[in-house]
Amino acid sequence: MYLKCPVCKKEWNASLKVARHIFGNGDKAHRAWVNSQGVSFTDLLIRQATGSGNQGFMVLAKIVESSQDGTSGVAG
Amino acid sequence: MSKSNYSVIGKRVGNVDGVEKVTGGAKYTVDMVLPNMLHGKILRSPHPHARILNIDTRRAEQLPGVKIVLTAKDTLGRKNGIWRNFRDLCDEEILCREKVRYVGDAVAALAATDLETAEKALDLIDVEYELLPAAFDPLDALHDGMPHIHEDFERNMNVYRQIEWGDVEEAFSQCDHIREDTFYCSSQAHGCLEPHCALASFSHDGKLTVWTSTQSAYYTQLLLSDMTGLREGDIKVIKPHVGGGFGSKLSLDSAQYCAALLSMKLTRPVKIVLTRAEEFGATKRRTAIHYKVKLGAMKDGTLVARKVQAITEGGAYTAMGGTALYLTGFFSSFPYKFDHYQYDGFRVYTNNETASACRGFGAPQANFVSESQIDMMAEDLGIDPIELRIKNAITPNHEIPGQATIRSCELRQCLEAIDKWIKERGPLPPNHGIGVSAYGFMSGGIFNWIDTPYAFSSALVKINVDGKVDLFIGANEIGQGSNTTLSMICAEELGVRLEDITLHTGDTSVCPVDLGAWGSRQTLMSGNAVKMAALEAKKQLLEVAFHTLKPNVVYDLDIKDRRVHLAERPRRGISYFDVVKDAIRGKEGQAIIGRGHYTPHGKGMISPAYSFGVQAVEVKVDRQTGKVELKKIVTAHECGQVINPIGLEGQVEGASVMAAGWALTEELKSRNGKILNGDFRDYKMLLAEDVPEMILIEVDSYEPEGPYGAKEAGEGLTVPGAGAIANAVYNAVGVRITQMPLSAEKILQALEEKKRTQKEVDPFEAVA
Repeated sequence: MYLKCPVCKKEWNASLKVARHIFGNGDKAHRAWVNSQGVSFTDLLIRQATGSGNQGFMVLAKIVESSQDGTSGVAG
Repeated sequence: MSKSNYSVIGKRVGNVDGVEKVTGGAKYTVDMVLPNMLHGKILRSPHPHARILNIDTRRAEQLPGVKIVLTAKDTLGRKNGIWRNFRDLCDEEILCREKVRYVGDAVAALAATDLETAEKALDLIDVEYELLPAAFDPLDALHDGMPHIHEDFERNMNVYRQIEWGDVEEAFSQCDHIREDTFYCSSQAHGCLEPHCALASFSHDGKLTVWTSTQSAYYTQLLLSDMTGLREGDIKVIKPHVGGGFGSKLSLDSAQYCAALLSMKLTRPVKIVLTRAEEFGATKRRTAIHYKVKLGAMKDGTLVARKVQAITEGGAYTAMGGTALYLTGFFSSFPYKFDHYQYDGFRVYTNNETASACRGFGAPQANFVSESQIDMMAEDLGIDPIELRIKNAITPNHEIPGQATIRSCELRQCLEAIDKWIKERGPLPPNHGIGVSAYGFMSGGIFNWIDTPYAFSSALVKINVDGKVDLFIGANEIGQGSNTTLSMICAEELGVRLEDITLHTGDTSVCPVDLGAWGSRQTLMSGNAVKMAALEAKKQLLEVAFHTLKPNVVYDLDIKDRRVHLAERPRRGISYFDVVKDAIRGKEGQAIIGRGHYTPHGKGMISPAYSFGVQAVEVKVDRQTGKVELKKIVTAHECGQVINPIGLEGQVEGASVMAAGWALTEELKSRNGKILNGDFRDYKMLLAEDVPEMILIEVDSYEPEGPYGAKEAGEGLTVPGAGAIANAVYNAVGVRITQMPLSAEKILQALEEKKRTQKEVDPFEAVA
């Protein structure tokens, strides 16, 4: 099962990995997409830095899953 | 070529500039004086965070002897930074326009006829500030509602970097044992004996010459061009002898910029030398880092996965901090084979002096954390810590996914050598302990943040009619011995003697570009450029000699000790000097010139080569005071072919002492952003009497990417010290210090805590 980055369409086998990719890339397009989802890119990054577990990235991972628009699991 | 066949390489050679230095003849920038020269001073902010409402310079300008006072309004308003491909990370105006971000930020610069007048004039500049709330701790600075230090960086998050291979979460679920620990690595001052300084002279024809204490004359030229608007070719940077850099003199500093600016306005030479207090409080420092580390292993000691999270205390500006952030992540996996690794690094702005490059570049911090935890894991598993290290050590031709390929690596032999030494040392007296730490370090960085179109290193060799060789290099000698190393490489390749080489270096107007002295790059990168240039010149001589000697085509020619001969039949040959004369005549009187360059290609993300080693430190801990006494430092080290053994020993000893000082006594204390111990009396660097016996065990290795098989030997030994000392303290008295520095107070407190918790468990009750 593959999930796509909603911005650059790269694929990973887990939503958490897509979330890591989005934060790792961190360019204007990826930031803008995160911010357009009703959350703040910076807030999630800081939550990841200061919270336990993968709190910040998990929030984005869930958003990534719901953003797949019916294509998750079939891509790749 | 076997080592015994070298004429110059591997010989114990005193530094080519050693006599000049020890007899006091060497000129440093601080020594320089020009006719008609003015003295510059910089006014610095007393506040950690404040808006500049007004700067009134009139009283200072009226003081007799003061020639000019400059503020941000006299600049082009450009922002300085070495990450030129990322303009938002070029965030330092040097002369602040709207606000100051740390105690020491520059707000005005002036020039006067003498130093006393210049100092007096500083007090006459009236700056009206609106004080702003400040953030000093990176964990606080991230909180919502904390002051914005840079408007464009929400919640002070400066840079985020990640590294990942494998699947750590899945791997942890398979592990027999997992540890999760937190650590803190403190900052460190570079402690250069020669402070930051510059003498700038702008001439009426629009040319700027700057003499300065720098690790990279080229970077200084390039960044001055960015900031002043002058063309690079109109700026000549001359680097005289340098009294230490250690990472602090890599990017453009306030002395260089302000001296240049003042000189450009006045068309007179202006010299600025930072005071020791400025040196401590208004330059850069080692990055302090908070770590959370999770390590998973199998019962047999196989390390499976590591997950590292780092929050670095960035200070007011980015500088080279993003690189330290990345490298501490990369080196947190070192020097072991992990199939699964994940790193998240967060750099946070604070209202402190900027944290940037410092000898080791993030690796010493990573190593303290990693090697402390490896010992903790070994104890948990009941495995000898050296055995655990041997089991997991990086081996030659190891691939680190997406990051690096390790070619030469004799880490296992280093571990075995240290194990042998420890066993021979035998039982230790009470309160003594030996700790070990294994490490690896890069031989030059594959980073082009500055976005230069030039090769990373270049060299030019010119052979003159008398056989003397002019070697032109842009490499920067800053006390580490690169002038000697590169001269030796040139002499070896050309087959001449060291005294035949005349070195021309430290002047951007005549030397080819080299990125400078940082990241342990000069032996490998500049060395390859020199070797290539010498080989090109040598080939021209051999062509001529071939016509003279007319050997059978199956024979090759070579030059050794000033004699050109058949490689396989050394007795058949002719004088190098005769060949040089013939070659120049044959080229219509032109000197023989060879050019060389080096830029790493296809060598991964970090470095073209890595050195490895293991350090064992024996300490004695005083249980009454907590004070640690260093008894012995033993290093088993591999750095490829040793070019100059004396130079190597000096580097290993110097680096080991710097690391031990960081581990034990050096701590920048501050209150409200102001450094409280900004002098050599209160900032406790180790003294000669603190330095123990040092033993160096050289393990043979050969790095195919390096000149004659050589690689890094200068910076890597700052990496293992703190981890080895922390492990030694634990082995001596049973307290594990995870928050640096390992001060006497902290150790004593830990000993008392240990005593208290042991008392709480009544041994009779426990038996019952």
